[in-house]
Amino acid sequence: MARTRSTKGAGAGAKATSSPKTATTTTNNSSTVYTLPAESENPPRVFVLPKQTSPEARIVTLQNPRYSKPTRYLACASTGFYEFTKISASKTAPRSWLLHGSQGDDCDNKFDTHTTRGADLYVSSAIDPVFLVLPALVKSGSDKKRRFLSSDDHFDALSESSSTTDETTSHLSELLKWPEIRRILEKRMETVCDTVEAGGEQMFRLNQDKLLDEILLKAKRMAKHGLPKSMVEKFVTKALEAPILGIRSAQAASKPSNAATSQQESSHDNSGANTPSLESADSQSTMSSVETTYTSVSDASTAATSVSSLSSAAAEEPNNEVVNAMSASQEVIDLQTLRVAFDFICSTYLPPALSKALKENLLATNDSRKGTDFKPLDDYLVQLAKLRQLAVAARSTDYSRKRTMDEEADERAEKKRKKEEEDKIKNANMSRGVKQLKKVNTSGMKKLSEFFKKK
Amino acid sequence: MPNPILKLVEPEKSSDDKPATTTTTTPHMLPCRIHHDGPVEPVQSFWDPRVEEDGTKTAYFRGRKLIGKTVKLPEGYRGVVAAAAGTEIKDRRPEDDGNGVDDLEGEGQPELGKLQLQAEFDEMVIWGHEATVDVSADPYVRGMEEWLDLANQIHSYTTTPSTEK
Repeated sequence: MARTRSTKGAGAGAKATSSPKTATTTTNNSSTVYTLPAESENPPRVFVLPKQTSPEARIVTLQNPRYSKPTRYLACASTGFYEFTKISASKTAPRSWLLHGSQGDDCDNKFDTHTTRGADLYVSSAIDPVFLVLPALVKSGSDKKRRFLSSDDHFDALSESSSTTDETTSHLSELLKWPEIRRILEKRMETVCDTVEAGGEQMFRLNQDKLLDEILLKAKRMAKHGLPKSMVEKFVTKALEAPILGIRSAQAASKPSNAATSQQESSHDNSGANTPSLESADSQSTMSSVETTYTSVSDASTAATSVSSLSSAAAEEPNNEVVNAMSASQEVIDLQTLRVAFDFICSTYLPPALSKALKENLLATNDSRKGTDFKPLDDYLVQLAKLRQLAVAARSTDYSRKRTMDEEADERAEKKRKKEEEDKIKNANMSRGVKQLKKVNTSGMKKLSEFFKKK
Repeated sequence: MPNPILKLVEPEKSSDDKPATTTTTTPHMLPCRIHHDGPVEPVQSFWDPRVEEDGTKTAYFRGRKLIGKTVKLPEGYRGVVAAAAGTEIKDRRPEDDGNGVDDLEGEGQPELGKLQLQAEFDEMVIWGHEATVDVSADPYVRGMEEWLDLANQIHSYTTTPSTEK
């Protein structure tokens, strides 16, 4: 059997060498056995890189500003720094890359199809160089006694930090030999530092207010652009979601706090009965999406199919809908978005100590002109916390009432279970013969001891 | 394991008279793990994705139906398949004009590794078993579409140089 197979395989193999196209069609039905090429020792990796980097760009190891661990960065003299984000498959959902080769007839540049064991994707995205030098800027003394230092001294501080390795030090010093990189770093330092000229050299000292402004600016840009959907759902919608009080009539329960809420109420009327489970998400999404649900539902109601007319009839009824205890106004949503963005930057790119200080700073400078007055949000959150407590309390009283009954039943069940267990153990120790003899009527029989009595 | 500074090495041009054509590839993210690193040619016998009339991609892998979702790389990014390829001791950077920078030669010269680019791609296909992947949950789709966008928002600084105080 093996013989016929191998001859067939050889035939197909011969064909394959002559013309690969026909080989593929024949191999489908023939019993050709391919030999798997040997594993390569250094498997290819998949990267997503920025297009505009210069050919002189290097991948270097630098200290991570947040975790103080050596981390890989892509440094480019003309466009700055990029960080790598490794995306890998979770353990529960194993993945692998199949890198499909080019099918072009360009034989020289052909890339063989590869598979990889891991499924890592390295995505490089721009990182603001200011974050990379921040650990050094923070290190140079505490807030009050911070001294002006030249950029060289700051860079030295960066490499002298205890957590750095030889590798990060040497990579950094190598990078600093490039005048462009040095310029990029210094330029970014200027934005968060007080500077003085001394002896023809520029000296830097970290200014926390400037840093706060810079990060707020970033956070605002993020908030304005809109956070990714998954982030909004998790950190904005969920965080502001009020507990559902139950089903009530709309007029009685709604407490319109401003114009935004009243508009949301209108969406309540239309979409509420349709999608009660989505209600909380709808009422707290941004204005535009509220309007879209509004229009889409009204479209549905005008469509004269039997199903939609049914649903619109239900929708137009003002009663019987799920009502949240309170809904966030647009201002509160915006503020929460901004806060999430700010926290995200702080917790990802700033040294822990500095991010703590900055957050305190932010709270201290509640300045409405800067758009960072978080008071409405805080008020809302306080109120929300109260409501949640109430909801939990209401629910817990229910539980406790139920539990008293349950507990009695539980106790009884527990006793019964214990007894059963004991019996089981007893029975297990008894032999089968003894168990069977238990059933025998021994009333008319002599006891065993009878035979050993003295006569 | 030491991590040398890596230099990106573009694939060598096949010959001088032909214009350089970049080798292209399509990375397919399979919903299973394959315990093999390396080439698996010839591939046509077990991997033959098709595009249906309505635009969905289907493929059969070992009898399992897979449905693919194409993810295009955002503007300004390119996908690269690369592998580390040896190290060399770095000599002077050729265009180092040394303006004001002392180039200390000698000890402490870090190794210069090479990262050989093997192929490029501008889209990848994420395959799900019997169904398309959940776009809102899949880390690869989100990494492409959400993270790159967000990272640009956070880190762009040249457009808005500094805040006025």
